[in-house]
Order: sequence, then structure tokens, then C-alpha cells
Amino acid sequence: MHERLSFYIKRDSLIHRLNPLTKLVLVFAFIGIAFTFPWYWIGLFLFVFVLIPLAFIAKVSREYFFTATRLILPAAGFLFLMQALFQPIGEEIIFQFYFLDATRESLAFAFTIAARIIVMISAFTMLLLTTHPSELMSDLTRRGLPGQFAYVIISTLQILPQMQAKAQTIIAAQRSRGLDTESTFLKRAGSVLPLVGPLVFGSLVEVEERAIAIEARGFTSKKEKTSLHEVPDTVTDKTLRWILIILIILSILLNLWLS
Amino acid sequence: MKIEIKDLHFTYPTGLEALQGISLTINSGEQVAIVGQNGAGKTTLVRHFNGLLKPTSGSVMIGDWDTAKYSVAKLASRVGYVFQNPDEQLFSRDVLTEVEFGPKNLGYSKEKIDELVKQALAWTELTDKTETNPYDLSPTWRKMVALASIIAMDTPIVIFDEPTTGQDFANVSRIAHVIAELKKQGKTVITITHDIDFCAENFERVIALSNGKILLDGKAREVLGQEEILAQTYVDPPQLTRLGKLLNLKETVINQEEFLNVIARNVG
Amino acid sequence: MAFVNIQNLTYKYPLTKTPALQNMNLQIEKGEFISIIGANGSGKSTLCYALAGFVPHFFKGEISGEIEVDGAASSKSTLDEWVVNVGLAFQNPFNQISGAKYTVFEEIAFGLENAGVPREQMKSRVEEAMQLTGISNLADRSPYSLSGGQQQRVALTSILVMQPKLLVLDEPTSQMDPIGTREVFSVIHNLTQSGMTVVMVEHKVEWIAHFATRVIALKDGAVLTEGKPSDVLTSDLLIENGFGVSRYTSVAREAKKQGLWKKDKLPVTLFEAAEGFNTK
Repeated sequence: MHERLSFYIKRDSLIHRLNPLTKLVLVFAFIGIAFTFPWYWIGLFLFVFVLIPLAFIAKVSREYFFTATRLILPAAGFLFLMQALFQPIGEEIIFQFYFLDATRESLAFAFTIAARIIVMISAFTMLLLTTHPSELMSDLTRRGLPGQFAYVIISTLQILPQMQAKAQTIIAAQRSRGLDTESTFLKRAGSVLPLVGPLVFGSLVEVEERAIAIEARGFTSKKEKTSLHEVPDTVTDKTLRWILIILIILSILLNLWLS
Repeated sequence: MKIEIKDLHFTYPTGLEALQGISLTINSGEQVAIVGQNGAGKTTLVRHFNGLLKPTSGSVMIGDWDTAKYSVAKLASRVGYVFQNPDEQLFSRDVLTEVEFGPKNLGYSKEKIDELVKQALAWTELTDKTETNPYDLSPTWRKMVALASIIAMDTPIVIFDEPTTGQDFANVSRIAHVIAELKKQGKTVITITHDIDFCAENFERVIALSNGKILLDGKAREVLGQEEILAQTYVDPPQLTRLGKLLNLKETVINQEEFLNVIARNVG
Repeated sequence: MAFVNIQNLTYKYPLTKTPALQNMNLQIEKGEFISIIGANGSGKSTLCYALAGFVPHFFKGEISGEIEVDGAASSKSTLDEWVVNVGLAFQNPFNQISGAKYTVFEEIAFGLENAGVPREQMKSRVEEAMQLTGISNLADRSPYSLSGGQQQRVALTSILVMQPKLLVLDEPTSQMDPIGTREVFSVIHNLTQSGMTVVMVEHKVEWIAHFATRVIALKDGAVLTEGKPSDVLTSDLLIENGFGVSRYTSVAREAKKQGLWKKDKLPVTLFEAAEGFNTK
């Protein structure tokens, strides 16, 4: 079954050893800089000269490039085309596609947007690849994030594959009762209730039982919680976070000054 | 209706070879129990009977239909399949609507549906609960609704997946009663079960699977007496069979009647 | 006073007409291993929930009477205080996994984190509990990758690690295959050795006979009969009230009518039956 339910790759690297919050701040620094700097090349610059080297430092380059080629670049490429063709800005037409035309300005705009998206998704991918979800959550909980909130996020991630398996069984059960799920759209529309009904009801039963199970283990105890994992937070982490925050502020100021 | 399986192999997309060459004939009206440890291939095998799974190689014939060429919805007119967990199929406002769902899908006439539903409800002792919402019933009664909703489809072959798991004594007796009624009507009943005493008391033929292959196949008494071979697939012989062995009875006994007959003979 | 004391307990779930428990009285001493039997709807699960505090604190509904464990009264306690003393495990192993943890070790530590146990103690307590239930080898696996029997043992360990005074088990093997059943009962066997007070609902009569110090049969939300396993499990009262009995008991009852069973007492287990039928 599902032995691995997160993106996390267990390795030892400088990035892995950083505190989860530091990495989260780093993600926001990337986003902050990519979205506020007015120069169109900034996204590409961050991607080539910072994010790619970082993937090697974090020893997750193979996994990162896998995600990049399968998900990030296609998404950015699609966004680029849409923006380039549909943005009604600029005069100088570079090329035409039936009634749609791409101008120098719309191309520049599309390029900026696509590069920003690449930076944003890449930064998050890097965080997920190098940070164990339960460490991220227990660190954030320690810093004041409500425990219930952290629980909902983690358990949803874990339970989704189980829900999918359950949905498969329900489909199998109803097809066995002669429900035609393979033919026309009209017929299929009529088969929504038999498929969704059991899924919803089954989930309600499960949620109640799970609530009892975690309550039996003191989930809503008013005592201060402790954590199995020690999440290190070093002086380097703290310093790095301050530098990154200053960087974010500077980039916002620079954006205001230039515009 | 005859089931004919020839050299059936099945490999899951994950690469797991769940069935490794099963050949099997089940004649019309037989009562067959399939036993074996989890992962032996029991569910994978019976899911081929109604086309939920299609052979990787080999063939499964239900009467004159090759399951590879028919949809599950079509095969539902020949093979009924009661899933283990009733909560994975119940969706209607009331028991009556739920039980009518299958026969309606099969396109039977109004009169035929009414008659079939009435009989299915009577067999499962649900006649006084037709207007109840299935989810207001206890899990054991929901199990009976699931049973009724398949029986009402009036298929010549009925499959039960782990019917007695989690059921109390009264409900196990009800399920045994339903199986006996199906037998009287000449229907083929195939059951996957871990409940070996239930198996011994209600089935004529037992097939033991292990690692995707048939380990034993024969009359219940012949199969259930093979303690050592059954141990390979983590099946214990029935309680009274074990008692008979411990008493050094010459023949294998599998149920109360047989046991008492042998004991009486020994004393006399 | 008894370690567990249930006095005149009557309880009705919200939106239902008939009470699930009716004027129930029950005393349990420390170290007893109680087995509860009864048909669907007899109040077994409700009794478990009542002992574990979920009736009424979680389910609400109408309650009268009192439940006391080790001198503390459920009515004067909140659920999060109560669960520290009474552990609960139930049928479906899958729904007992928190979903918040990625390894079995973390899963078992979950309750200790909630209870605010310091990290150093946590590790040794988790290791100890895993040893008791024989799952140390599963520590680094994902709870979702395990078999039903293994998951149920993880669920039991997750409760045991909290060191409850009373352990309540609601049909822990009913969804298990024979291998899973054996795995779970081996844990329960270890528990009987450790002197834990246990209340277990269970259908598998021949297992009950091995472990229980006392059997309590419920019917319609009240106690029908109780006593030693060998007495209760062979009593005619069970047959008259539609309870399931072991095949050994029923075959001997039939044999007795035909004069083929000479003993006074009916058997519950294989060996008792073999002894009684052995004419040589």
C-alpha cells in the first residue's frame, strides 16, 4: 500500500538541517523578491542562479528536476501562452495566431508572470522535498499555530489516498448492481447519488470514529503538549531569518521607490 | 449457470501477480466456499466472476459469456456480488428503494421487481423495515439490506465476500438461512470466508487458495480434514474436525450431525 | 468499594426512543479480566463508551446513575481528564489511526504528546509498550501500510502507552482474519499476565474461556447473567436467549440428550470436550 505519503526525501544536507520556519521564510523571500522586483529577468535569474544551485546543495536535484519537468515548466509554459496571446496590451505585433496576437509588451508581461510562477512553485517544492510534514507542523504548533489546524492539514494529506481507494470500491459495488458508469453522459449523471452517497456517509462514520480514537488519546487535553521530535532552531537559523526578512522589506521598498 | 475458468492469470498494475494459473469449473447450483489467508487471491478471483477484473491471460466464462467481452453492468444480470462492507453500497432514503435499485437497473418488469423485492425482504427479515432509512439501522441490519439488495436481482450466481465478519450469532444464522434458500432455488452460491465453522456447516465444496494458486479443491470434508496442507494458507480445520482428530476418530467429521453419528457408533 | 462501580446506570442516545442501557449495576475488582457478550443492540458498545467516558461526554443524550473508576466519578469529570484513566480500543483498526503521524513510533507517541509527557520519557515509554505488544519491528513503518492485525496492535499499543488504569476493548478482533485474531489475542494474553484490569467485548467464545476471569452476558441494556466463564458460557440461559455458544458446548449438549456425554458439566474449549468424549 502507500508507504510514502509526502514529498519528503530523507537526506542529510544543509537545507534539510535548517529549521522548518527558516525554510518557510525563505520561500516567502523568493516569492517577495520575484513578485516585487520590477525587472522582467528577476524570476529567471532566481531560477537559474539560486534555485537550481540550491537543489544541488539540498541533494534533491533529481527529484526537483522531475517535478520541474513534469509539473512546473508545463504549467508555466501554458500560463505564458495564455498571457502572451490574451493580454490586450502593446502595439508592436511580434506574431499572430488567427485573431489573437502577441505584442512585444504582452510577451514581456507573460514572461514575467511565468517566471514568477516558476519561482513560487519551485520554492514550495524545495520546502516540501526537504522538510518532513510532521516536523513543519510540530514546529509551527510550538510557535502558536493551533493544534487542530495542524491536525486537519496533516490528516487530510494522509487520508486522501485512502478516500480514493474507498471511492474505487464503491464504484465496483454499484457497477455490480447493474449501474452503468461507462456509457453516455446522461446515464452517468443519474449515477452520481449511488456513488457519492456511500462516500459521504462512510466518511461521516469514519470521522466520528476517528474523533473518538484521537479523543481517547487526549487530543483536546488542556495540558501543554510536548513533541516527540526535537526541531532544532540554531543561531544560524535565527540570523538567516532576519536577513531574509530584511531582504523582503528591502524588495518591497525598492518596488515602491521605482514605481 | 456454469462458471468455467481456464488458466487464469492476473497481474495488478503494481506488478503483483495475484493469480497464477487458476483452472476451475463450478456447476450450476453448487455451494462453494473459498478459503485462504489474506493475500491468497480470493477477492481477486471472485472479482473476475462479474467482470470487475479482466484476466491478464486465460479466460472466465459465465455460461456462454466470456467476461472479457461484457461490461460489469451487463454481467450483473448473471452474477450478484455482495460486498463485505454494506456502507460501501447503501445510498437510498429507505430500505425498499435500496433493494429495488438492482432489479430496476436490470430492466425487469414492475410486477417481477415487486415480487423479487418482497421475497428478498422476507428472507432477510426486513419486511417490517421497508420504510426505514438504512443508516438508521444498526450495522448488522445494514448488512442484511445489502444482502437483500443483491438477492432481489435474481441472478443465477450469487457471490458473498466475508458475509459473517463482524456479525453476531443471530445475523450469522440469518445469512445461513438466505444461503439455504438460494440453494433451494438451484442458484450457485460462492462465498469467500475466514469463518471455517460457518464454511463447514453451509457449503458442499471448499476451495483453498494460497499465493494465487489452488491449494485444495473438493468436497468440504475432504478439504477441511487436510490439516497440514491448510496450515500453509493459515486455515485451521473446523472446531469439531479438530475435536475428532484429538479423539482419534477414524473418519473426518466436519459438523455436529456427523460427529454425533460417529461417536454413537463408537459407543455402540 | 469496587475498582469500577456502575450504579443504576440508564442511558438514552439523542433522538432515540428506548434506552441503550437500563438500570445497569456492575462491580469490577482491580486485576479482573471481564468479557462482555451479547447480541447486536444489547448495549455492549454503549457500556464500553460509558466506561471510557464517551457516554455521555461525547455522545450527549440522557443519563442517570453513576460510573466510578478508582474512586473518581464520570459525572464530575471532563472527557479529557477521564481518558487518562480509561483506555478505549474498538473494532475498526483503520479508523483508530490518528492520520497525523507518518510512522508507527510517532503514532504511538501521539497520546503522550497530548498529555505533555517530556521527550526523554516518551521514547522509553513507546519502546516499552511496543515490546509488550510485540510490534517493535514495525516502528518505522507507515501505519497505513500495515495489515489489519498489525494496525489493531498499533491501536492497542497507542492506548497502553498512556498507562490507563482500566482498558476497554470493544470487539478488537471482529474485523480480523484468523492471523490478525491470533496476533491481537497474543497481545491480550500478555495483558492478562501484566495484571491490567480489562473489559473486553468479544464474540469468539473459545478465546474468552481462555482469558476471562468473569463473563457478563448482556440483553436489552441490562445484565442477563454473569459468573465464571465455564458456568456462563455453558448455561441454558444463553441458548434460550439466542446467544452464540462454542461448537464444543452445543455438540456436548446434544450428545447429553442422547446419553453420549456423561459429565455433568458441558465443555467450552477443545480440551474440555476431548476429555469428556474420550471413553478410553
